[in-house]
Amino acid sequence: QVRPVSAAPEKITEKVAESIKEAQETCADDPASGECVAAWDGVEELSAAASHARDKKKGSDPLEEFCKDNMETDECRTYED
Amino acid sequence: MAICTVYTTPSLNSTCSISTTSKTQLGFHQKQVVFYSSGKKTSKRGSNTTSPYVITCSTTVGDSKTVVIGLAADSGCGKSTFMRRLTSVFGGAAEPPKGGNPDSNTLISDTTTVICLDDYHSLDRTGRKQKGVTALDPRANDFDLMYEQVKAIKDGIPVEKPIYNHVTGLLDPPELIKPPKILVIEGLHPMFDSRVRDLLDFSIYLDISNEVKFAWKIQRDMAERGHSLESIKASIEARKPDFDAYIDPQKQYADAVIEVLPTQLIPDDNEGKILRVRLIMKEGVEFFNPVYLFDEGSTVSWIPCGRKLTCSYPGIKFYYGPDTYFGHEVSVLEMDGQFDRLDELIYVESHLSNISTKFYGEVTQQMLKHADFPGSSNGTGLFQTIVGLKIRDLYEQLISTKAKTPVEATKA
Repeated sequence: QVRPVSAAPEKITEKVAESIKEAQETCADDPASGECVAAWDGVEELSAAASHARDKKKGSDPLEEFCKDNMETDECRTYED
Repeated sequence: MAICTVYTTPSLNSTCSISTTSKTQLGFHQKQVVFYSSGKKTSKRGSNTTSPYVITCSTTVGDSKTVVIGLAADSGCGKSTFMRRLTSVFGGAAEPPKGGNPDSNTLISDTTTVICLDDYHSLDRTGRKQKGVTALDPRANDFDLMYEQVKAIKDGIPVEKPIYNHVTGLLDPPELIKPPKILVIEGLHPMFDSRVRDLLDFSIYLDISNEVKFAWKIQRDMAERGHSLESIKASIEARKPDFDAYIDPQKQYADAVIEVLPTQLIPDDNEGKILRVRLIMKEGVEFFNPVYLFDEGSTVSWIPCGRKLTCSYPGIKFYYGPDTYFGHEVSVLEMDGQFDRLDELIYVESHLSNISTKFYGEVTQQMLKHADFPGSSNGTGLFQTIVGLKIRDLYEQLISTKAKTPVEATKA
């Protein structure tokens, strides 16, 4: 069974760029419309998601990540006493 | 401690043994057991056919109810940092539910469950675009479901909560949320609906001024592909009318407000790196005693820099005093500037009172533990940590008062 993996930051980055373009196009016709406002709100939501994904990736230590799945290896073994 | 209330309708001379498991595991809160003794066992009067014994048991009376905390803030204003500081005060790291949806917004630790109120969006991203409403608009949110589920969790009943996927912008299949000791609901509208508001045992509003919000979003988004100064500005401007109409007014209901403003130590500073942070604490809230500096109720301005605290330009300035906020009496604690050396924070901590620490230096220790979090060198980190300790204190007081009145607690 394959565990689902959350979307990679690169993928969200693409979506952010896309949503900005879309918002700019939507607002070109009518800058005060509900659609324009909703489009920019979508940009904010994706930007926040992208930043959260980046934080998550940045925070992870390669060794810690490896040790999550390989507790028994020499470099990961820890004893309480 | 397990407390059982046994109600018996007409007394019968049949014996029944009740065994109670004294598990204090999360999610196991209240059990109702109904015993029916069959009327065939000849009772002397012979008139009763069935006679129910209703036994309500709750393991550790304090556990029977979840304490609910509300945190309101706009997106990208440091809710998640605050949440990490808060859960750290209670011990243990908060992690997403294991094996579930990887895009779940929920965080679970031993004592605390944090749910994101975006999960109660009634319209997904496409739906909002079609209707021309933002996520800030109440029409995009299902407050009935929010109320029902928060109430259920508070009463100890697990719920199937929807998941709003921030990446796809769709509503994903729901996840099971078990009642924790402390439930934190964070998002844009925790205090918007009066029914939900009444369920909150404590509420916090993170109030980021426009200047600082702009500076923070530039820091966050400038590196992002596609973003420019114009797009960041446009996004903030577009959301502002809805923010002012629906989000901002909630701060009047908050028990504590953390205001983040540009510094006054440097004239005309727009960098947003040095901050003036105000902790506004409502007076007269049960189980919540505001923090004070030197003398409770006085107005104090304090510059700690000197021989005991190393400060470089522009220094640190504290202020404390009484004030009114939306017609409520409040105490305000303010810090402008930032620490150069975090361990010297102990000097400041030792002059604050009512911070609800369990030992001398706990605030400093908590701050040092998360020195890498944003805001650790200024008032945002300090006040978030203090609010975390105040919530722990409030939780402990709530639990102990419930334990003192077990009968009321079980009946409630």
